[in-house]
Amino acid sequence: MNQTDNAVKASLFVTCIIDQFFPEVGEAAVRVLRRLGVDVEFDQSQTCCGQPAFNNGFWDDAKPTARRLVDSYEGEGNVVVPSGSCAAMLRVFYNELFHDEHDTLRRAQALAPHVFEFTEFVSDVLGAENREGLFHATKPMRVTYHESCHLKRELGVDLQPRSLIKSLPGVELVEMPQAEVCCGFGGTFSVKYADISAAMLNDKIANIQSANVDAVVAGDMSCLMHIGGGLEKQEAGIRAIHIAQLLDERI
Amino acid sequence: MTERNEFFNTIRQALGPQTEAPNLTGTGSSALGDNSDAVSARSQAIQAYIDEQSGPLMDSLSESATGAGWKVARFDDLDKAGDHIVGIVRDVEANLVVRSRQDVLESGIVEAWLASLGVDVVPMALGEHSEHTVDELRSLAERADIGITGVDYAIAETGSCVLIPSAQVSRLVSLLPPIHIAIVQRGQVLPTLDELFTIRRRDFLDGNLGSYMNLISGPSRSADIEYTLVTGVHGPGEVHMILVG
Amino acid sequence: MQSHTKDFRQGAGAALSDPKIQANLEGLYNGFHQARIDASDQTPDWEALQDKGRAIKAHTLDNLAYYLEMVERNVIASGGHIYFARDAEAASNYVVNLAKERGIELVIKGKSMVSEEMALNHRLEEEGIEPVETDLGEYIVQLAEETPFHIIAPAIHKSRGEVSELFVEKLNVPMYDNIEDLTREARDQLRQKFVDAGMGITGANFIVAETGTVTLVTNEGNGRMCTSMPKIHVAITGMEKVVPSIEDLGLFLRLLIRSATGQRISSYVTTVTGPRGEDEVDGPEEFHLVIVDNGRSKMLADPNLREALYCLRCGACLNACPVYRKVGGHAYGWVYPGPIGAIVSPMLTNLSEAKDLPYASTLCGACKEACPVKINIPRMLLYLRKELTQGETYPEHKSVSMAESTAVKGWRASVSSSFMMRLSNLGGRLLQLPFVRGGRIDRLPSPLSGWTKHRKFPAIASKPFRTRWKNIGKK
Repeated sequence: MNQTDNAVKASLFVTCIIDQFFPEVGEAAVRVLRRLGVDVEFDQSQTCCGQPAFNNGFWDDAKPTARRLVDSYEGEGNVVVPSGSCAAMLRVFYNELFHDEHDTLRRAQALAPHVFEFTEFVSDVLGAENREGLFHATKPMRVTYHESCHLKRELGVDLQPRSLIKSLPGVELVEMPQAEVCCGFGGTFSVKYADISAAMLNDKIANIQSANVDAVVAGDMSCLMHIGGGLEKQEAGIRAIHIAQLLDERI
Repeated sequence: MTERNEFFNTIRQALGPQTEAPNLTGTGSSALGDNSDAVSARSQAIQAYIDEQSGPLMDSLSESATGAGWKVARFDDLDKAGDHIVGIVRDVEANLVVRSRQDVLESGIVEAWLASLGVDVVPMALGEHSEHTVDELRSLAERADIGITGVDYAIAETGSCVLIPSAQVSRLVSLLPPIHIAIVQRGQVLPTLDELFTIRRRDFLDGNLGSYMNLISGPSRSADIEYTLVTGVHGPGEVHMILVG
Repeated sequence: MQSHTKDFRQGAGAALSDPKIQANLEGLYNGFHQARIDASDQTPDWEALQDKGRAIKAHTLDNLAYYLEMVERNVIASGGHIYFARDAEAASNYVVNLAKERGIELVIKGKSMVSEEMALNHRLEEEGIEPVETDLGEYIVQLAEETPFHIIAPAIHKSRGEVSELFVEKLNVPMYDNIEDLTREARDQLRQKFVDAGMGITGANFIVAETGTVTLVTNEGNGRMCTSMPKIHVAITGMEKVVPSIEDLGLFLRLLIRSATGQRISSYVTTVTGPRGEDEVDGPEEFHLVIVDNGRSKMLADPNLREALYCLRCGACLNACPVYRKVGGHAYGWVYPGPIGAIVSPMLTNLSEAKDLPYASTLCGACKEACPVKINIPRMLLYLRKELTQGETYPEHKSVSMAESTAVKGWRASVSSSFMMRLSNLGGRLLQLPFVRGGRIDRLPSPLSGWTKHRKFPAIASKPFRTRWKNIGKK
């Protein structure tokens, strides 16, 4: 019997921000999934889930790209998304976007149970924490976890990332104050209301610094781009990394 | 169309076509689908329960009232309670005490307790029993050092006493003086807010709701300045709950 | 109240650069916000209460005409008067005319957000009638000639020092340095007002349809004063505050109070049904209930917005909101700030004028998580953004800039296919050339400069993931 016949398959929806700005995060996610025995596919036709337009009220402009996504993943099995906000767009907000387009709505609702955010998949489906000797130690490291809003509040994912981090030998998870509070990114909010966004960012950075850590880890590159961008500007000496990268460094 | 009808017309248009009377089942509203008998049955069950559980309910009230900021003291009988109240009156060097006229106080026990202290005790009441006008009574309540009342009910869940104004109970006797002493007797304690409102519903259906009710759960308080808690803002800053029985 | 919603950016900026306001806002997270979490954690079956409360609210609003008529019958049967005001002006006229007819010179007021909608104090003053706010926070705000900063704690933006200075200036009293003294001063100042006032005006937290009862939740005792001392009591409230039965009060009191301050119950819960009884010793001789629409019927009519009317006015969403906790209540420019305000204020005033309000949110969802009746605020913010952009239900408020429309069209093209993504990548890499150093961009041109003021921006990858895939593909 061929080993790969029993392998879990997953189609990676890499998200436009990782594709264009942080491709190394996508590569890390693929390596982690493969190491866990997943047969990873990548549909080249993918572009964007439509959230930037949707969040700003441009629903008609978001629909074409969202429809294409629903079409391309129909019947394709597991879809894994290394982003809480993009996964939430597919699973939750397509219900809003397509509320009056019944055929697409039905197909989006059929797709939803197959859509997994990355840590959901790695923890709940693949049980990575329970695999003996999966992760090896590297230099000891203190990290804190920032809770991306959609990941926590729309998808209900908060235990899985922490449990994965805690399963890494040599990595100490230090909780920071107000970990669940929004970092202030919010898409175009970060530019349209830049001063409010910056004030929220400063609070987040202060909380990260108070935890005395080497890195802040999260499941969304949008948050990390914003937090990391701020940390770099302040020359704080703290890395901002995606959880896929943290796992990849040790798998 | 009158103003009133226009108002309702706007709402009806907003709601769209509907049947006149809504479907009350499965709404979650505890009650409007019930008939009067169902409310009576619940009310009677509550009465039976609070009589049977009067002891544990007093225990529970003692705890919750303390948590709510009452100074709580418990006694087997009214005489012992009286000694305690005399102590409070003496400690604050009160000159004037106003009291409500609930049954527990109507026999004149407060006057008896305080007789030897030379403290004036004024029952807050109108009509044939009173020597004072409404304005005079209000003035007295404002000058009083302490207001003493019984209660209609107490609530264990929240540490509250319930006062329903009537001919016997003034709205102001527990509001104007800086100290309020409430005497709760065994058998008056309800487990939660829900039982209170079932009983009140029964009262309403009997034409007995009255015009006013206060749930009092501790001293007057505010945290409006810098989140800092202060007591005695407009209502009494010191409240005593005396549990008897 | 006059609307300043279009000054949101200015107001937010002012709050952000005011260290005193920032310091006072800090207390919300560990204060009210945490207190609500603790109280709800300690309440058995909290979520079941929430679901039941929401179901009752939904049912009541879906049948609002029926229940308001029930209120009407019962208020009249209990000897009270009832007035249905189509808007703030009608409500003000009623109250002011009543006060004039009765020769009222002094009015004492408990906290009423609806009376702020009406700018009632201003109207009364114009007629030579003195309104005095009796809630400590409202009293301070009135002295300062400001508007409330927070639904539950109107003066929370003021430090004790600022309150002391205010009292010195307006009341001619010595400088106090502790909060007990300030409170005692307020109490003494208000004592005589309670006695002299001819009319007491309050809000209402709930109106019970079955009995025509108004319910007041207070801590200070001023609500009891306003409903016990003057000869006339007027309660003013929004039409959405109805609950069907008196037996629903237990549930709603738990939801409201624990969500507002984290208390198990407030110091006082007062229920008013008509004027005083004939044999009662004290209490008002006249009772008036003013029920106000003022644009609420617009939200009622819109199935996407009706649930905004479930609001209990507890303030939990304000306390939970990371944006509100930075900019405070004044920035929102009208009576209702914070997440629920971002829906209600535009809808009760002018949607396109208030367009900053639905956009000044990261859609983090903390408000939805905090709401005792699970109002889905982010969903309604998204709906209002869609309306402002595409103008389907409210075409007269469509308000989108050419620049943004064009940018979105550009975005739409760039995500229309994998080829277009690659093309855009190329274009982006060319455009960014003058700006990139070490893989980062330090300064983006306008309108994106807001980003780089506070953050570095990453450079677009020369090899996007989709290009790399062929190297990491099947191995």
